Amino acid sequence: MQPILDLKDLTFSYHSKEGETKALQNLTFSVDQGDFVGLVGPSGCGKTTILNLIAGIISPASGSILLNSQPLNLSLDKVALMPQRDQLFEWRTIERNIMLGLEIRKTKTKQNKEMALALLKKYGLGDFAKMHPSQLSGGMKQRAALIRTLVTQPEILLLDEPFSALDFQTRLNVCNDVYSIIKQEQKTAILVSHDISECISLCDKIVVLSNRPTTVKEEIIIEIDKSLTPLKRREHKLFAGYFEKIWSLLEEKENDG
Amino acid sequence: MTDEHKKYVKKIKIRKLVTKILQASILILFIGLWELVASKEIIDPFIISSPSRIVKIFIKLQGQNSLYNHMVATLSETVFGFLISTVLGTIIAIMLWWNKLLNDVLEPYLITLNALPKISLGPLIIIWIGAGKNSIITMTVLTCIIITIISMLAGFLQVDKEKIMLLKSMRANKFQILFKLVLPSNIPTLMSVLKINVGLAWVGAIIGEYLVSREGIGYLIVYGSQVFQLDLVMASITILSILAALMYAIVAIAEKIIKKYF
Ligand SMILES: Nc1ncnc2c1ncn2[C@@H]1O[C@H](COP(=O)(O)OP(=O)(O)O)[C@@H](O)[C@H]1O
Ligand SMILES: [Mg+2]
Repeated sequence: MQPILDLKDLTFSYHSKEGETKALQNLTFSVDQGDFVGLVGPSGCGKTTILNLIAGIISPASGSILLNSQPLNLSLDKVALMPQRDQLFEWRTIERNIMLGLEIRKTKTKQNKEMALALLKKYGLGDFAKMHPSQLSGGMKQRAALIRTLVTQPEILLLDEPFSALDFQTRLNVCNDVYSIIKQEQKTAILVSHDISECISLCDKIVVLSNRPTTVKEEIIIEIDKSLTPLKRREHKLFAGYFEKIWSLLEEKENDG
Repeated sequence: MTDEHKKYVKKIKIRKLVTKILQASILILFIGLWELVASKEIIDPFIISSPSRIVKIFIKLQGQNSLYNHMVATLSETVFGFLISTVLGTIIAIMLWWNKLLNDVLEPYLITLNALPKISLGPLIIIWIGAGKNSIITMTVLTCIIITIISMLAGFLQVDKEKIMLLKSMRANKFQILFKLVLPSNIPTLMSVLKINVGLAWVGAIIGEYLVSREGIGYLIVYGSQVFQLDLVMASITILSILAALMYAIVAIAEKIIKKYF
């Protein structure tokens, strides 16, 4: 099967007065249709940079990104980003927040609006449509932010540490929510997280990244039953083994670079 | 509502009432003492005037129908200056946000202009624009516009980078980023700028009138002090306080209405 997303030999540097920051070097990995892929790596290694490249906000210095075997710029609409904090606009109601993507793309048709509102209802926020973000709990806001990404009907969701602003209890629940929504909507997702347990509980595959300039250290396939909830997956007998493995990979001293 | 909460609500209400009563008392006490000190000639009323003398001046000016004209003159200068500097200042701030090069180039000039006492430009303005209403409005605009530009721009640049990234990932162009994010998220900045400008616009207009005018409250103050008619000066200052408070109240109401929609 052709992967839905194919990153090949990506190289990217930031340039500033202070000098050049080599963020990525020959980074290669791919994502299959319907997969939930996790990116873990040391802080500052370039995880957000990778998501921004896939979202088309920045362009690689060299290398290629193929989406459905085509250059990315032909199908940028297929990708949606969910930032670290929910980033709902405080001055907009939840309803108008989730319509933002439709407004920007000028596709706010009656049909699309109804579809968006149906999503809100389906995932338990129907009664909150007319409220402002400040009236919702942290978990609900995160769900609204996820629905906002779904409204433009993307194929790939990019989640940049989406749970890091939540307290632990909420976090476990929101993980379950997000997991079930993404599976129900049959989306492909890429998750950045510095929480190894969280990553294992959600993902089908985990890409472990090195220090800067970042390359892929190892790809680990998580073979835990996909039909279990993330919370249940945490209790699976294979869980601890994966955790150990990723932990030691991250601890490992770099020999190269 | 529980009894406890009722008690709390009642307490708040009483507190509010007490505040209002105390505020009124200060004013009444001040006016009363002033009147007393002046009428008993403890201090020469020629120097400090008195509330009753001020009222007489009001009535006299009112009879000549000139009070109204002076008020309208100053008020119009202030309001025009206020509106022009807010709108123009915001537009310039948008241009600087839009074009980083322009911003970098103009930054030192803005900082210098901000530090410069605007009154020092007064004589130049009179020579260039002439001793009339336009000079006073220009003075008012100069007083308000620099701080408007600087405050608005600072607000624009503080917009969360992650929110901009989010819009960019939706393929927003710069116009959309401006109108969907940068401007609406800076409504509170605009409100605080409006409040600052309400005060500064009066400063600009009165300074302008001190320098050039043949009419207006500022003119009355200068004229009154020159002919040593302190009743007139005091009356003018009283009018000024009332007008300034009214204009502030209007901005506060506008803020409440706008907050409802954002
Ligand atoms: N706009 C930028 N300009 C310069 N350097 C940057 C910029 N954004 C990120 N970097 C640097 O690039 C590296 C990778 O950043 P990032 O992708 O945000 O890392 P991560 O998300 O893995 O924590 C970091 O060292 C960071 O300091
Ligand atoms: Mg990051």
